[in-house]
Amino acid sequence: MLENFLLGLNTVMDPSVFVYAVVGVIIGQLIGVLPGIGAITAISLLLPVTFHLDATTSIIMLAGIYYGSQYGGSIASILLNLPGTPSSVVTCLDGYPMAQKGQAGKALFITATSSFVGSCIGVGIVIMAAIPMSIFALKFGAPEYASLVFLGLLAATMIATGSQIRSLAMVALGIFFGLIGSDISSGAYRFVLIPEMADGISLVSLAMGLFGLGEVIKNIGQKKRRAIDVKITLKDILPSRAEAKGLVGPLLRGGGSGSFFGALPGTGAAIASFMAYAIEKRVSKTPEKFGKGALAGLSGPEAANNAAAQTSFIPTLTLGVPGDAVMALMIGALILNGVIPGPNLMTNEPALFWGVIASFLIGNIILFAINLPLIRFWVMLIRIPYNKLYPIVILMISAGVYSHRNSVVDVIMTLMFGVLGYVLRRYRFEAAPVLLGFVLGPMLEENFRRTMLLYGGDFTVFLTRPICAVFTGLAALIIAFSIFSTVQKGKANRSV
Amino acid sequence: MSIKLRIALPILAALAAPVFAADYPEKTIRLYHGFGPGGNADTVARIVAEEMSQGLGQPVVVESKPGAGGTVASDFISKADPDGYSLQLMVGGHSVAAALYNELPYDAKEDFTFISTIGKFPFFAATQAGAFDDMADLVAQAKEKPGSIKIGHAGVGSTQHLSGELLGLLSGAEFLHIPYKGGAAASTALLGGEVDLMIDAGTSTRGQAEAGTFDILGVTSGERWDDATDVPTISETVAEGYDVLSWTGLGGPAGLSDDVVATLSAEMARVMALPSVQEKITALGAKPSASTPEEFRTLVETQIGVWTTVVKDAGVEKR
Repeated sequence: MLENFLLGLNTVMDPSVFVYAVVGVIIGQLIGVLPGIGAITAISLLLPVTFHLDATTSIIMLAGIYYGSQYGGSIASILLNLPGTPSSVVTCLDGYPMAQKGQAGKALFITATSSFVGSCIGVGIVIMAAIPMSIFALKFGAPEYASLVFLGLLAATMIATGSQIRSLAMVALGIFFGLIGSDISSGAYRFVLIPEMADGISLVSLAMGLFGLGEVIKNIGQKKRRAIDVKITLKDILPSRAEAKGLVGPLLRGGGSGSFFGALPGTGAAIASFMAYAIEKRVSKTPEKFGKGALAGLSGPEAANNAAAQTSFIPTLTLGVPGDAVMALMIGALILNGVIPGPNLMTNEPALFWGVIASFLIGNIILFAINLPLIRFWVMLIRIPYNKLYPIVILMISAGVYSHRNSVVDVIMTLMFGVLGYVLRRYRFEAAPVLLGFVLGPMLEENFRRTMLLYGGDFTVFLTRPICAVFTGLAALIIAFSIFSTVQKGKANRSV
Repeated sequence: MSIKLRIALPILAALAAPVFAADYPEKTIRLYHGFGPGGNADTVARIVAEEMSQGLGQPVVVESKPGAGGTVASDFISKADPDGYSLQLMVGGHSVAAALYNELPYDAKEDFTFISTIGKFPFFAATQAGAFDDMADLVAQAKEKPGSIKIGHAGVGSTQHLSGELLGLLSGAEFLHIPYKGGAAASTALLGGEVDLMIDAGTSTRGQAEAGTFDILGVTSGERWDDATDVPTISETVAEGYDVLSWTGLGGPAGLSDDVVATLSAEMARVMALPSVQEKITALGAKPSASTPEEFRTLVETQIGVWTTVVKDAGVEKR
């Protein structure tokens, strides 16, 4: 294994390859910072460039864009409550409150570090366990996904800080938005008012609208930014010894759970970060601090989405099946260079396989190194007054959302979700559960209905298949626990 | 003649003058397609656009307008100015959509100019390695226990799905069709053993077969495929008359002037003869095949006929 990894390092350290690794992660970082523009847009624009490169260099560059964007995504989340990518929505929850308390520098430092640690955990798992992970992932059929997603939806209600009823309502609203579009089981249209809605609402529209634009509208009346005392001395940026100690758990849990979700085809960085947040809140001794600037709520999910970005290469590299659209692009680039991705990739093209994996490590070191000095620069953004900043932000959101499908409809929808985001804020509903419902609801439906189709309507598969049984059992425990604690609370005081 | 008119007339005349082929193209050409970035259509569009930019001396920019199985882009092109600056990278789905949708905002035959096909490709019927002896064995098992053989496909109304339905219709066996979100998810399901069969492009089936994880039992084309002559056709084994080919091609709105069509046609012939382009199209699992506008139109019309019959006979829900 070490020998293989050294072969990979050797490949990456070749200057002609190394340059493209650096170019990739820097583009990725930029893409991540700009709200709305996703890695997929950048990768497809750069695809023709790869016609002139060899397969290994192409993939190393494109991969760099992808995981690099996971770093940049959190920056606008923390500073402006404006997620750069859907997976950094979770970063808004505790990162933005920290920035408002004048701790933007510290929040940025923690996310950069967590991203790096999470990535390293992910890369470590790719190096040591790519094959077993891919075999395990193949055990996930429709019933397993259905029960896992059901568990995830239960966890969704725990993300919110306020009342469970309110967050349930928001999850339901999210599921409703998610159901718009073509029904996957029959192809029938649901709530499709115009053809542009046939493929459903775009996650980017929803995320940018509810979070970014909603925040803009909320603050639009203010002429001047509320003076936030920004501290950027080293002492203010570094977490204290006690704080750092408290981050070890979240980092390991986030990196671990993120690696798991990343390796499953069909789930990705966004789900990984939400789940990590739910886990951290569950295990925390001070769950009431979540949503108000809890460090664990920042670092766990950040580690998770970066770990997931790395392990999502596992199905692509070991099985030749892409888990999502970005991975499909990678496979496309390989095919165009005459490399057929499949289970033989590792044996037929060891230099490519291990080169890509070694590039993850190198790329992450570069990203970490460029992010730390940039903190000082990012924090200054916070001093720009609203009336100067927001027109630029709105323009960037619109351009970013448009770039995904070249669709004006998506931009208009983003504006409408922006208004909705404002209304929700105004009446103290939280937007995060909407997003989780939106992602998970349709997944639950798809996999549940597929299970019923495959097993002739037999419900017992959720108990008889071992992996399902574990998830179903956990879900039952969560329900039992929350009923129990609600009853207890109800006895203590009559308010829920 | 007043002075005003004397100035205005030549300007008007200049505005009214037809665009001469010699002038075309004199600005950026936009090549639209109806699928997401990175899909087959997008990749083919970028391969062709890169070469066309050089040949025509004007940038050819690829733009993706995804939505509703490619019909959003087709609708857009059908209503675009027929000046040759808005073109479409079309795919086999164009004929499928014409058969599948109750009401399209355009006429799939009359609202388009068909310029040249780019690549043609069959699908391959793949199973887990060792699961079945051959196509006949698979169909025999499906006939013995109707609905026991599960076909995973890329989505309701996709060409892959309809190919599976056609297999059922022509072989007389009853299959259980399981929809997935895209071909990759169906491949994963076949790898994991959740479904028994998938019918999909060579790019997602043949790599697995080379690695020994899949068996390829048949090819959907009417004749054996050039670079896979050892694979029997589905037609010769279990479903006589089975002939499914998908394709990519270059088209535009109806009413493109003959000169523009001639320019583009000649350029496509040049591009398609380039070894570098042929290599890439082949790598994507297709046979590079330039055609005349007439051949392209006939292909589309024939396929609309075939898919209309399949949708009706298999009882696929129209939308």
